[in-house]
Amino acid sequence: MKESVYQTYCPGCGIGCGLYIRKDDKGNLSIDYMKSSPANLGKLCRFGVTLAHHYSEIKTTVTGSEADVEDAIKAAEQRIQSSDSIAMLSVGNTCNEEHMAFTRIADTLDTKVHTGLSIYNELASHCHGYLAGMPFAEMEKAKKIALFVDPYVQYPLIVRRLLIAKNNGAKILSVGTKKLNLADENLPLEPDEYETLEIDNESLIIADIHPNSDDDHIKRLIALAQETGAKIHFLRPFINGAGASLIEKEKIGNMSLAQIMEDIEAGNIRTLVTLDSDPVELLPDAEAAVETLKKLDNLIVISSRKSPVTKLADIVIATEPVYMKAGTFISVEGRVQENSGEGVDGIDAMSLLNGELGGKTFDYQQMHYRVKKCVENAEKEMAGHTDNKASDCVSDVKEVSRSVPEDMYELSYLYNPFMWFDQKDDNDFVIIDRKLVKELGLKKGGMVLLSSEKGKIRLRYMLSDLPEGLVLTAKKLPIATGAITNVSMEGC
Amino acid sequence: MADRKEWEPKIVAFCCNWCSYGGADTAGMGRFQQPASVRVVRVMCSGRIDPLHVFNAFLEGADAVLVTGCHLGDCHYVNGNYKTEVRYQFLEELMIEMGLEPERLHLSWISASEGEKFASFVNKVTTEVKKLGPSPLKPEGVN
Amino acid sequence: MNVNVGDKLLGYATDPGIRNRGASGGLVTAVLAAALERELVEDVIVLKHINEYEAVPIITDDVDEVLASTGSMHTVPVNLAKHATGKKVAMPGKPCDVRGVIEQAKRNEIDIENTYIIGLNCGGTMHPVLTKEMLINMYELDPEDVVGEKIDKGKLFFKTQDGEEKGISIDDLEEAGYGRRESCRYCDVKIPVNADIACGNWGVVGELAGKATFCEVMNEKGVRLLENAIESGYIQVEQAGEKEIAIREKVNSAMLGLVDKWTEKIFTDIPLQERMKYYMEQFADCIDCGACKEACPACTCKEESKCTMYHNLADDYKMSMYHMVRLLHLSDSCVGCGQCSDVCPVDIPVTTIFRRFADPAQKKHNYKAGMTLERPPFLEVMLK
Ligand SMILES: Cc1cc2nc3c(=O)[nH]c(=O)nc-3n(C[C@H](O)[C@H](O)[C@H](O)COP(=O)(O)OP(=O)(O)OC[C@H]3O[C@@H](n4cnc5c(N)ncnc54)[C@H](O)[C@@H]3O)c2cc1C
Ligand code: SF4
Repeated sequence: MKESVYQTYCPGCGIGCGLYIRKDDKGNLSIDYMKSSPANLGKLCRFGVTLAHHYSEIKTTVTGSEADVEDAIKAAEQRIQSSDSIAMLSVGNTCNEEHMAFTRIADTLDTKVHTGLSIYNELASHCHGYLAGMPFAEMEKAKKIALFVDPYVQYPLIVRRLLIAKNNGAKILSVGTKKLNLADENLPLEPDEYETLEIDNESLIIADIHPNSDDDHIKRLIALAQETGAKIHFLRPFINGAGASLIEKEKIGNMSLAQIMEDIEAGNIRTLVTLDSDPVELLPDAEAAVETLKKLDNLIVISSRKSPVTKLADIVIATEPVYMKAGTFISVEGRVQENSGEGVDGIDAMSLLNGELGGKTFDYQQMHYRVKKCVENAEKEMAGHTDNKASDCVSDVKEVSRSVPEDMYELSYLYNPFMWFDQKDDNDFVIIDRKLVKELGLKKGGMVLLSSEKGKIRLRYMLSDLPEGLVLTAKKLPIATGAITNVSMEGC
Repeated sequence: MADRKEWEPKIVAFCCNWCSYGGADTAGMGRFQQPASVRVVRVMCSGRIDPLHVFNAFLEGADAVLVTGCHLGDCHYVNGNYKTEVRYQFLEELMIEMGLEPERLHLSWISASEGEKFASFVNKVTTEVKKLGPSPLKPEGVN
Repeated sequence: MNVNVGDKLLGYATDPGIRNRGASGGLVTAVLAAALERELVEDVIVLKHINEYEAVPIITDDVDEVLASTGSMHTVPVNLAKHATGKKVAMPGKPCDVRGVIEQAKRNEIDIENTYIIGLNCGGTMHPVLTKEMLINMYELDPEDVVGEKIDKGKLFFKTQDGEEKGISIDDLEEAGYGRRESCRYCDVKIPVNADIACGNWGVVGELAGKATFCEVMNEKGVRLLENAIESGYIQVEQAGEKEIAIREKVNSAMLGLVDKWTEKIFTDIPLQERMKYYMEQFADCIDCGACKEACPACTCKEESKCTMYHNLADDYKMSMYHMVRLLHLSDSCVGCGQCSDVCPVDIPVTTIFRRFADPAQKKHNYKAGMTLERPPFLEVMLK
């Protein structure tokens, strides 16, 4: 028996939980706890504990049939050369070095790499510090914390930080989500009521940014921080979302994921190259995403794991699983963490592709060096988060108003690692308000029927105290049309 | 509220098919006065009663749980009820540690002909539990 | 030399390299290597060192990997039991590792006849992150400078690269919230009499201190292990003297005295009327990750187990069925290793809660989990 152990980080979200992946000589994977990891002390959430199921083997293919990497790269080169409307997407599911290699290709093609976030474009660059995270120790010290996420479901590893803060005397307010055990108050506030939170410069606002988040709401929260002097901490999904937003900043495109899909629909983008980023997984309406991607002339996928998009792709360039890669990741705390793995398949493939396209070839060391330089340059932004004082960042806050027709409910996602990666989880229920249960005359153990314009679905439900008209789900539902879907509800 | 009906506890009784279930039946046929508080769950042997069934009854809203079976030595399956006894001792220990009043869990051996015993047992427990009030594990919204 | 059950020996590795690198004489490493080399077992479980503060358990048939694993890692609170399931292995093990192995064996997951266990005396393990914090806050040392540590006369010493040595009393450290993990403070098995041989440095004094290990032979498998290593020239042993035996006993009882002190301190009585509320509050932040079960060395269930199958995320129970079932199961199998508290992402003191249930139940039935195969799990099997 021979076992290899890889020291790596959890791909589920940006917290960057350290862990070990153990591989035996039959290829079976298991996890082990990295108790020396300062981000998580070896502790993991539901996603992390079941992580061994996450890595799914992927094969290099050209138009559906298995191929050599070299052939796939040649084929990719031809397709790219013959197309003039290319978009590149990397949301941060792989290491900085691969992301850097991807930007090299973008450079050669004289285009940019989109990370799926448009908020960076909406804020002046000296305000980007607001979007960076901060060390969790800051969280533990805050006097008052306003939560705009459900930490239990979405970012479980901050629960203990919040509990420590609470122990240190912090008051915790949760806004607009279900009743949270750790919150002192659960407030069903609308954006224009946020001043009632009475946030001040010893307070901390916790929210998240992801490809489906609402830029106007993010701006609303930054404005709140700006007005009150409170600190703000944005959490993120994906192992390296923070890195993807910091590495080669001037090469980052400004399109949101939704805009990219619109442009594909409109025929403005005819070739899409993705690096460990699957729009079908990322977008709430998977079916619509598939239909849109089918309209592309060329879909080229560079990826370390099999996912829905690999089935649609014209060319798949397979790389080693993330835990085996050589490389670094930046966590939401601004921590630069390095894998113990030595795999450079991804970098080598991208180097080859870049060479074929007329650019320079490169190796891991070169990419790593460039990443280091970028991180050094970004340090101000990464450290700027602790005193993000810029006060001229948001001037016009569009009031975020949603219109829910009478008698309908707002089905809203609690985005979590299982959802981003389409993983199986036993989250197959919706969370509804007690009042609604009475109104619909629901019986214990019964089901609810949710209907949207896309269809109907029967689901189990869980009770909680929720703001009126809200229905929450931590599982992607086929009836959803967006991050928020208007639904009507019946008992059944 | 004067007109509100007196609170009736919910009591779950696990009964063995071969004896205590018969006992419950006899109690009914013999028209022994017994409260409407009992819900009988028939099992093939008291040895089948996993302690987790007892916990689940409490979590679902039971105010008391009765574990009943054949008299020791009379088990239809030779020694099922000895196992019940061991588990029961355990369960009792756990209930106390958890802070659930011991009056909410009872073990009794009742044969098929002991209808009266069953009825008086249930009556006794019902009175006791009425004094204690609803179980702290009862979910919100369940009476 | 003939080895017999009950022998109390002093021994060390004959190879000077192994002997010097070993925690105290390299006996354990040498015995493991010999077992592998002479095919007493197919594989060996050892720790693969990552850095000064961390190591990961691996299974290997490579003698070099065994030889690289020398040294006691006091900041590596792992449990090795589950790594041994379904294999023919030799393994080192702290008392809690060994207790885990025996619980696994009771449930037929480990074939004890083919599992050789080299027990290590254990005064406790420390959490690596807290240890680094302690070095900064209490010792005023840079954790990266530390090259070694030792326990001497109740003090914990750290040595740095430039030879500096600093010691602070363990009591003081623990009062300040550092030092050993909570479960280690109340763990009452310090010498692994449940292993095949029980090794440690207690009782090794004078010239041999730090250069040999005190080793008690607990059973026939222990005899085989040692004879195998002696015959292959890997180790050298001699009978321990009265003095050594007495010292080992004395230190052990002093440690057990400490255990009583901590037990009293940690397991304060919760008034009957407050218990339910207390436990409900403790479990209220649970995120249902299941890590406490995954990490549990006594649990032999695979993915489908009662605690997970009867538990449903949508349930709105006052206490989760998952924990209720675990409380039941662990009351006759919890070995108190502390893994569940370590891995709980929301810092629930899971181990201490389980011990609150397991202790009275095990005491009442005069049963201690993980100590002997002779007593089957009593919740599942008829008594007497
Ligand atoms: C955490 C810990 C605490 C200890 N406390 C005491 C004590 O209080 N009193 C006493 O007399 N002896 C104690 N010992 C035992 C002692 O330190 C020596 O391990 C023993 O004397 C054997 O020495 P050696 O040179 O033969 O071991 P080595 O040849 O150095 O072999 C050590 C073996 O221990 C394994 N190991 C190291 N760290 C761990 C760990 N954390 N968990 C499981 N296995 C591990 C290694 O994989 C290796 O196989 C402790 C050991 C450990 C690991
Ligand atoms: S480890 Fe903690 S959070 Fe996870 S299931 Fe156990 S108690 Fe719950």
